[in-house]
Amino acid sequence: MTTTAIRRNAPVWLSVFAGIALWEIAGRLTSAAFMVPFSETLVRLWQLITRGEFLVQLFDSAELFLTGFVLALIVGAPLGMLLARVRLLRIGIEPYIMTLYATPMVALIPFILSMMGFGFAPKVLVVFLFAVFPVLYNTVEGARSIKPELIEVAKSYRSSEWSLWREVMLPYTLPYMMTGVRQAIGRALVGMIAAEFFLSATGLGQLIMGASQDFDTAGVFASILVIGLIGVGLTRLGLVIEQHFAHWRQ
Amino acid sequence: MTETSIGAPSAVVAAPPATARPAALSGSFVPRLLTGLVILLSWEIVVRAVAPAYVAKPSTVVLAIPRVMTDPEFLRALGATLAAVAEGLAITIVAGTAIGLLMGRSPIVDRMIRVYVNGFNALPMIIVLPLFSLWFGYSGAARIGTIIFAAIFAITMNVADGARSVPREYLEVARSFRSGRWRMLTDIVLPASMPYLLAGFRLAAGRALIGAVVAEFFLSIGGLGYYILYNSRAYHHNEAFVGVLLLAAFGVSFELLVNWCTRHFMPWYRRGA
Repeated sequence: MTTTAIRRNAPVWLSVFAGIALWEIAGRLTSAAFMVPFSETLVRLWQLITRGEFLVQLFDSAELFLTGFVLALIVGAPLGMLLARVRLLRIGIEPYIMTLYATPMVALIPFILSMMGFGFAPKVLVVFLFAVFPVLYNTVEGARSIKPELIEVAKSYRSSEWSLWREVMLPYTLPYMMTGVRQAIGRALVGMIAAEFFLSATGLGQLIMGASQDFDTAGVFASILVIGLIGVGLTRLGLVIEQHFAHWRQ
Repeated sequence: MTETSIGAPSAVVAAPPATARPAALSGSFVPRLLTGLVILLSWEIVVRAVAPAYVAKPSTVVLAIPRVMTDPEFLRALGATLAAVAEGLAITIVAGTAIGLLMGRSPIVDRMIRVYVNGFNALPMIIVLPLFSLWFGYSGAARIGTIIFAAIFAITMNVADGARSVPREYLEVARSFRSGRWRMLTDIVLPASMPYLLAGFRLAAGRALIGAVVAEFFLSIGGLGYYILYNSRAYHHNEAFVGVLLLAAFGVSFELLVNWCTRHFMPWYRRGA
């Protein structure tokens, strides 16, 4: 590491250490029901990991997240390209997609609960609903920004509809779609926790709720810390994916 | 139109709304209306065919609208939620803008705080609910806290971006006229980052609304979210759905309001490209 890199990153590390120190001091000064020090949080986290329940819950959550997210991709991306290709369809449906995009999806959870109950399917539906609209919306935006000349040239070379999609539309739309994927990752994470809170309690959501109900403040902080790290990691992943395809954009 | 800017430094930063909408609005009315009718009709038919009677369908929801809108209990719930959202957003805008300006104009502050702003922003906001319920109890304070936590980072990140993108020449001219730091901040940096602030506000308002609803679900305190939860549990889906419609209407009108403001008050602002 060069000295300039050290000097650039020094404030970041300093502030991280300062934050942890502040957390530690605040935790020691206030009552244990209100806040626990950083060190105690780590100890509690270690207990959760070694007792094994943590990994089970993590796996549960990951299963829910991935199922909902992949479904959102499978539905959102092709539908988005179809909407961009068929103008009449897009004009007709777009305002309704916008409305749904702006609707707080959490408000639908009570309906899903009373119609579908407590199984795995309703929870997947929640994650799906949270994640699908960013993918759909960005794919439509990307696909409709394809220059008409590109499609005209392809047509005049008698390109079939299938190869038009594969050779022109998909490569052109992919970077936009990835912006949608990045946004969808964050939303799917919120959807996952919301589903675990308000439908049947499982996974990381159950871990934190259980800790809160037992007034186990250390457990609450440990869970938040873990979910925060997962959130940061997934956000980073989304950015990396997006940047990877960014240079395709013209 | 929005949020497609690639390479944005952070997940939350939305491109401020574009100034012009496609002009094809007039010719698109009929297909839109038809699609809407098709959607409503198929919803009605499917629910009538397969779902139990309590499930909301367009015909019964429409009948429920006047009943719900005049129900004092509903109006009280609506008022409680909107008051909480307004209070939370007011705090959020003041605090978020102040932090954002600091971050945007001071590289040191930026490098010190950014790691936390990014980190908290990546946290699914509803995760703080169990903690806030421990801290504030099952009360309105926990709801305000959730609203602020949900909304503040959207404002902060956008304002920081806006403050950073102020053209250098403006500041140099101001400095050569011996303008003080504070005046430069209030008279140049703040107005110049207004479009970003508005874009942040659009995101923040939506998140604040979600935060309020989620908090009411979790804490069981009176408001629109609790009204929806309570009625759907009691199998009054039509009444509950009117609440959802209202939420959607708020979401859309925030969007339209911000777009209109940007176009009307900031005609000088054009998004690059």
